[in-house]
Amino acid sequence: MGNLSGNAYALTVLSPIKPGIIADEQIAYADKVRSILQGWNGLPNSPMTAVPQTYLCRYFVLDNVYTESQPGGSAPDTLNDWLPVVPDWLRRAAMPAHDQLKSRYLVFSANVYVGPSGDIAPYLRGMWQAIRKEVESIWQYCYGFDEVKDADGFAAYIQRCALPASLFFVGSNDEPLPEQLKALYIKQQFARFAVDNQGLPTATLRQNFQAFMKQIAPHELATPTWEPGKYRLP
Amino acid sequence: MTYQLDLLDIQGNVLRAYGRFRYPAARYVFFNIRDGAKGRAFVAALTRRVTTAVQWGEGPDKLPPPEWTLNVAFNYQGLKELDLPRESLIGFSPEFVAGMKDRKDILGDDGPSAPEHWDPIWQHNRETREHDVHIFVSINGLMPLPKDAKPAAVQAAVNDAKARVEAGYRWLLEQVAAQQGGVALLGGHRGDNGELLDYQDVQAVLENGVPTSKEHFGYTDGIGDPVFEGVPYDAERINGRGKQLANGQWAPLAAGEFLLGHTDEALEYPPAPSPLLLARNGTYMIYRKLHENVGTFERYLDEHGQRYPGGKELLAAKFVGRWRDNGAPIVKAWDDASKARFDADYKAADGHGKDQLLSNFTYDEDMSGGRCPFSAHIRRINPRASLEFTRDEQDPAKVCGAFSVSEGAFDTPGALANRRRVLRRGLPYGTVKDRSRDDGNHGIIIMMLNADINRQFEFVQQQWINYGNDFKAGNDKEILLGNHSQSEHFPSKAVLQVDPASDDAPYILPRLPRFVETRGGEYFFVPSLTALRMIAAGTVDPT
Repeated sequence: MGNLSGNAYALTVLSPIKPGIIADEQIAYADKVRSILQGWNGLPNSPMTAVPQTYLCRYFVLDNVYTESQPGGSAPDTLNDWLPVVPDWLRRAAMPAHDQLKSRYLVFSANVYVGPSGDIAPYLRGMWQAIRKEVESIWQYCYGFDEVKDADGFAAYIQRCALPASLFFVGSNDEPLPEQLKALYIKQQFARFAVDNQGLPTATLRQNFQAFMKQIAPHELATPTWEPGKYRLP
Repeated sequence: MTYQLDLLDIQGNVLRAYGRFRYPAARYVFFNIRDGAKGRAFVAALTRRVTTAVQWGEGPDKLPPPEWTLNVAFNYQGLKELDLPRESLIGFSPEFVAGMKDRKDILGDDGPSAPEHWDPIWQHNRETREHDVHIFVSINGLMPLPKDAKPAAVQAAVNDAKARVEAGYRWLLEQVAAQQGGVALLGGHRGDNGELLDYQDVQAVLENGVPTSKEHFGYTDGIGDPVFEGVPYDAERINGRGKQLANGQWAPLAAGEFLLGHTDEALEYPPAPSPLLLARNGTYMIYRKLHENVGTFERYLDEHGQRYPGGKELLAAKFVGRWRDNGAPIVKAWDDASKARFDADYKAADGHGKDQLLSNFTYDEDMSGGRCPFSAHIRRINPRASLEFTRDEQDPAKVCGAFSVSEGAFDTPGALANRRRVLRRGLPYGTVKDRSRDDGNHGIIIMMLNADINRQFEFVQQQWINYGNDFKAGNDKEILLGNHSQSEHFPSKAVLQVDPASDDAPYILPRLPRFVETRGGEYFFVPSLTALRMIAAGTVDPT
């Protein structure tokens, strides 16, 4: 399946936004969603950092996709190219000259760790538990979201809105997020260690290295480590 | 037929680094236009005296070198004040319109390099109409041949060159006076004792009274200047300075990398304003005043020179990729034995041979950076073919940190470098009176020329000087020019690689201080002679 690469899952969700407006704010639902998402840029960190196992993600509002072309290319079309029962001009005339989306969409796309099961539902339930308030604040304007009452409902809803992925670019090394954050932490701390200790006599170096290993506790995933959403150690 | 440039239509400073042609001193002067018509009359007067790129010497179509050169450029505000039509103005590149100060985030001009620390002339530029820089004029003085090689005679010749700069400057002031207030000279260049001067003086650093091509840290500057099509006096200098071909030979770069109105390395004409005659044979110039923290440099070099296994001078060479004594590229002279060999060859070589020893090299034998570090100055500003490198994961013999040339991914060895080249002009300013101090008046004025400021200069500054990812060096900055930070949390460092197959440990340069700080600058347009005449006459017509 295209959504999976090793233990990583590529989630692409398009949730149609209802065409309504918020009268007292004079704002369309879709514009409200965008406004809330843009507001997240002003926060100290993204709410998504609280969602376990998120490698990276992106939200945006898709206003429209307007195509002005000659669609086609399905199997019958290919057959028709070989064996033109229906003349090409007739086929083209029967197709729409242009096309656009029926509604505006909230797009959520993420690369996440799902583990060997390949099941995205546990991740989505974790997302609901971690940031339910934020999830509701943006998805409340989408079709069908009023049915969502709990974590299972949210997981089911998102999976209905999800697209199959192809050309999945894996930007991670397949380990669970806490493992990766710990690895980044150790890498950065080790660079510091190398800077601070270069040229020391072997005995001192060994002593310092032992202290260093104790301090970074390589097998302790929880702490000390790199916090999600941080791009540099403090 | 070989590519030919209209030498009489191109300003001389575009094709020549005057310092290399026996002009060891220069003065840069900036003007504010108070009245458009008078401003154009001023430009007309200057244009009649502008030094072109014509061949110097005896013979047909040649002219003798002038006692002092004169060259002119304008920034965006200047072209506006000279009443260029809006249709032409909108064709200049966005970064040129915005100006250098506005591009500080791209250029990394932060902390002590931020515009609030620039010389007053540059601080005030683009703040108020009366203090805007509009016109750049440069005057270089020709040094007569000294009577003999003794320091006293050479010193006298250098003084003659400076007197010629003075003569040119007096002529320039007469042209200003003739416009009766239509053009105002803008002062505000910091001098030796913090006083503000009306001009920026530069001159070659003297060693025992003899002019050198070194800057204040002691490195030879300007060796690797690019060579491009149609420059007759660079025909012998292509190897190591042009572009490398797939067969290992060198060819001159396309003229359109450095001159508007000519095809570039992508076989396209660089974006340029209309009409064509306004742009053709013109180019963009980046003027930058860079202060050199000599005391910090000496202290850092001393401190780490004592610890670095190869000693202080090798460490200094690692910073730049060249030795300080004779400019030997470190890829050819990476240890005592190879340096001794290079020095012997260099001593025995004639002028052309010396030039080739200095410039004709690649990093093919040094893909892992064990000789020339990935963050060394010359590797960063002109990586030659060294960016096309890869870790060979398949080869079990490869050790950690070993890289090899990436085969087959690119058409030519220089594919990633050929469109990032800049011509470099300029000279050092000030003198170092106390090598233990930073606060003297010493640095370099660097003028870089290219067809596309954003694609060439700004890219190199942002991606290759202040960031290291293209060199697989993380966020290590270029050692000498990088806008380093010594902050407690995010101190700059740079790694000096070693031969990965050896048992040597890489040396890490920790807590790199900022050796070089920006003290001002601006983006200028250097028009052709044709364009200067059109600007002066007010006949630029884009329709």
